[in-house]
Amino acid sequence: MVRALKRVGETLRKRWGLGAVRYTVILIVALLAYGLVLLIAGKDPIKAYVDTFTFTFGSAYGFSELLVRMTPLLLTAVAVALPSRLGLINVGGEGQLYMGAWLATWGAITFVSLPQAAFIPLLILLGFVGGGTWAAIAGFFRARGWVNETITTLLMNYVAPLIVGFFIYGAWRSRVPGASAFPQSATFPPAARLPRFFGTRVHLGLVLALVALGIFWFMLERTKWGLKMRAIGGNPEAARRLGMRLGLYFVVVMFIAGGIAGLAGMAEVSGLHWRLSAGFSPGYGFVGFLISWLSGGSAIGIVTMSFVLAIVFAGGSLLQITQGVPFAAVNVLMALILFAVLIRPRLVRRKA
Amino acid sequence: MRLRAAVLVAMLGAVALLAVAGGAIAAQQPSLVIGLLLPGPKNDAGYNQSFYDAVQEVKANIPGVQLIVAEYVADAEAESTMETMIQQGAKMILPCGFNFQYPALAVAEKHSDVVFMHPGGWEVRGNFSNYYATTQLDMYLMGVAAGMMTKTNKLGFIVGMPQGYMLGDCNAFHLGARAVNPKVETHLVFTFSWGDTTKEAAAAQALLDQGCDVITQHLDSPIAVIQTVEAAGAYTIGFMSLDSQKYAPKGWITGLGLTWGAYLTQSAQAVIDGTWHTGFVRQGLAGGFTQIAPFGSAVPDRVKQFILALATGYKAGLIDTFIGPVKDQAGVVRIAAGEVWGNDKMGDFDWLVEGIVGTPQ
Amino acid sequence: MTWSLVLGIVSGTIMYGAPLLYATLGEVVGQRAGMVNLGLEGILLVGASVGLAASVVTGSPWAGIAAAGIAGCLFNLVYAFLVVSRKANQLASGLALMFLGTGLSAMIGKAYIGRGITGLARYQVPGISSLPGITRTMFSYDLLVYLAAPVAVVVWWLIFRTRWGLGLRAVGESPSAAFAAGRRVSWAEYQAAMFCGLMSGIAGAHLSVALARTWTEGMTGGRGFIAVALVIFSKWHPLRAIVGALVFGGAVTVGLQLQASGSTISPFVLNMIPYVLTLGILLIWGGARRLVAPAALGRVYFGEE
Repeated sequence: MVRALKRVGETLRKRWGLGAVRYTVILIVALLAYGLVLLIAGKDPIKAYVDTFTFTFGSAYGFSELLVRMTPLLLTAVAVALPSRLGLINVGGEGQLYMGAWLATWGAITFVSLPQAAFIPLLILLGFVGGGTWAAIAGFFRARGWVNETITTLLMNYVAPLIVGFFIYGAWRSRVPGASAFPQSATFPPAARLPRFFGTRVHLGLVLALVALGIFWFMLERTKWGLKMRAIGGNPEAARRLGMRLGLYFVVVMFIAGGIAGLAGMAEVSGLHWRLSAGFSPGYGFVGFLISWLSGGSAIGIVTMSFVLAIVFAGGSLLQITQGVPFAAVNVLMALILFAVLIRPRLVRRKA
Repeated sequence: MRLRAAVLVAMLGAVALLAVAGGAIAAQQPSLVIGLLLPGPKNDAGYNQSFYDAVQEVKANIPGVQLIVAEYVADAEAESTMETMIQQGAKMILPCGFNFQYPALAVAEKHSDVVFMHPGGWEVRGNFSNYYATTQLDMYLMGVAAGMMTKTNKLGFIVGMPQGYMLGDCNAFHLGARAVNPKVETHLVFTFSWGDTTKEAAAAQALLDQGCDVITQHLDSPIAVIQTVEAAGAYTIGFMSLDSQKYAPKGWITGLGLTWGAYLTQSAQAVIDGTWHTGFVRQGLAGGFTQIAPFGSAVPDRVKQFILALATGYKAGLIDTFIGPVKDQAGVVRIAAGEVWGNDKMGDFDWLVEGIVGTPQ
Repeated sequence: MTWSLVLGIVSGTIMYGAPLLYATLGEVVGQRAGMVNLGLEGILLVGASVGLAASVVTGSPWAGIAAAGIAGCLFNLVYAFLVVSRKANQLASGLALMFLGTGLSAMIGKAYIGRGITGLARYQVPGISSLPGITRTMFSYDLLVYLAAPVAVVVWWLIFRTRWGLGLRAVGESPSAAFAAGRRVSWAEYQAAMFCGLMSGIAGAHLSVALARTWTEGMTGGRGFIAVALVIFSKWHPLRAIVGALVFGGAVTVGLQLQASGSTISPFVLNMIPYVLTLGILLIWGGARRLVAPAALGRVYFGEE
């Protein structure tokens, strides 16, 4: 079995290059393993995969929903991939996403009479600043050498939803006459909603995400700045001796990364929900970490893995309806995909 | 490159074949497909189960009804879950989560041929109706039972999140208790989470520690609270699912069950017959949306008789809950003398009745 | 603040600090051997679901606790295999474990939703009922709560007073030096991971079997991550972990007890306190350069192949 896989891997590598081999093999292994899990749980894995496939690719609606799901994943993945070039580990995408949504919501319910042409750029700015500032705190602590960003961002993940909760249960709580006061913000004015395309739920957030990804790729691969970041990530001590201001890099890069995660939050509330509520993110920040890690920080990899995970989520939502598999079971599949990478069988060994 | 194209063509072919095969299998037409979205598990002995039991009743009553049930639906997943259900043929969607109201409304606007019935919200459209039980009135009876059973004169009420309707439940409960026992205090605790059962148990523990001996709750699942209370030898008043009695063999007093079965059966039949019409429906004991659970073994007969007599008066419309004057915690009269608050006011509460220990935020 | 409120807070703090302490002790041992395990949340969930399932099936809560301990131990072997044998990145491996635990526990627990159990028997602290203001339910704990602090002492003894602990710390400080000194690095790491899994499994089961007496999806509510933070809070020291667990356990209880007695502090602000406090303490220690983390923490040791 292993030998056969290796041979397949060898052939594929010659044709399509290492990246394609990596992802294909990882996916096949993970899907086989998850199929086994489903089988043990008394479900029909073949039907599960076929259903997922037909549902997501079988209709324009299903496919458009994949793009909707992909949007926050792309952004949160970039938010992890960018600082990782500097050797920074940002586990705080979830918190940054919440803070981006939080500040954008403040804008949306405060400047209600702005025209859309001014509103959308404002929301983008606020989303970016909200998430960015949240992450820059961690970057600053790291820059001063007080505490590393991994633990800071992790802890701050738990504070951000509480801040959101504080506001939507307090000052921002919407009051509809004659109805219960629900713990969510007022509905965004139409001008504060991201435009949607082709009658689907695909919204401007996807464009933002792709632009962010494009800039990310261009900056890192084609500019001096990207090269410097790599140098710092590779050997911070040497970079410091060369006179690079590491601290500044840490703060700025964390700000940008957090800002991108903040955009994800802004896009969710202003593109999809049109209001801020407590549980609007089912853990996109953590999934973004997973995607960034799986893709090794490459832009193409991020797109591919975001797409794959969008299918995974869509499948999870579907299987719950068709076969009564708990939605949480998608976590098992995500873990198995990650395991397939982490175990690092020889034919898909990472460079790093 | 050519290989990739070939693979793609093969995949598309497979999809087409499967779609055809799928169509052939689904030849036998059900009379109605109902899609049920639950925010939690269907057997939580609480909120979710009340709806699950109800649709099972619909299925048993109307031949050919097919159910599509989705549990643990996250807010972000609600819209696509409903779309999936509609693709699978659902013509009646029951989005049974407070936060599903707007996602459901968005889907309803796209599918005018599908009926949506949302519990507990306020939006109404041509194919989108709203219904809920008048728990804010009926909890009065539970309060009476609690007020008669307590020995410490301290009652506990645990609520997931502070929302107007839930404050109303607590207010009614306290008014009922105070009517039969003027010395009674009701202690109100919010857990600020749905589903952190350890925290719910801790909330029950906190109330027990403060001397409360009758405890009720408005949570998704009451199991953790009831078991904590039962283990401490205190009394339980149930809420939502009638099924929760089994967790308190000793300390069960009674409970208010949400019983949607008859109403949803009637609605489903109307959808099949094409006579369904939208509306904003609030019903209580008289309309069958709520039921008083069987009494526990610890309850003396005189209490049982009293509650049942009150319930009869309630159903006949002889008794009301929020009759002025009602003062809030600061002593300000909120419902003036001679005024009676009915169903339409039940979401408006942002204050608590005098004698409740707790805060309304 | 009334006397009964103070008593209620102290009583609740001890009870809800106990599961945190077990999980923290497990992670302390793991991190002493150089392994940061963010997957603690996953182990807790597996422990909670297996613990409740086994309690229902066998009818004995102690069998549930034992099964959860074993399950946690085995489950963390997955992490150990990735990190020790495959030299995988610790953060990613931990997150993988978290995802796996979340999913598996949902599948294991599904059949046991709504199943009630009597849970572990509680015994009031002897003699305490004679004190003024004590109600019947205060200071009434199950055995695992009573054992939590003694277990912390045992773990302290194991780490600092035994040859096993010496080896463990040596591996955490410098795997290559430990290897040169003739220690079996991988085996020590595996042992630490198994111990971490055992303790976390028990912690998870304590939540479901003793405290909530029921299973719900995601019922651990981030306590696994809190435990990871607590390890740093307690500077990798088992006895200081007792203090840490009480601070975090207290934050939840204080909020609820305050509400139950009619006081108002925004629960959102209250819930932030533990995280902000941990962050603050890390900053103070970090600023003073007095962080005493095991030197090889989080690093992959490739030396021994």
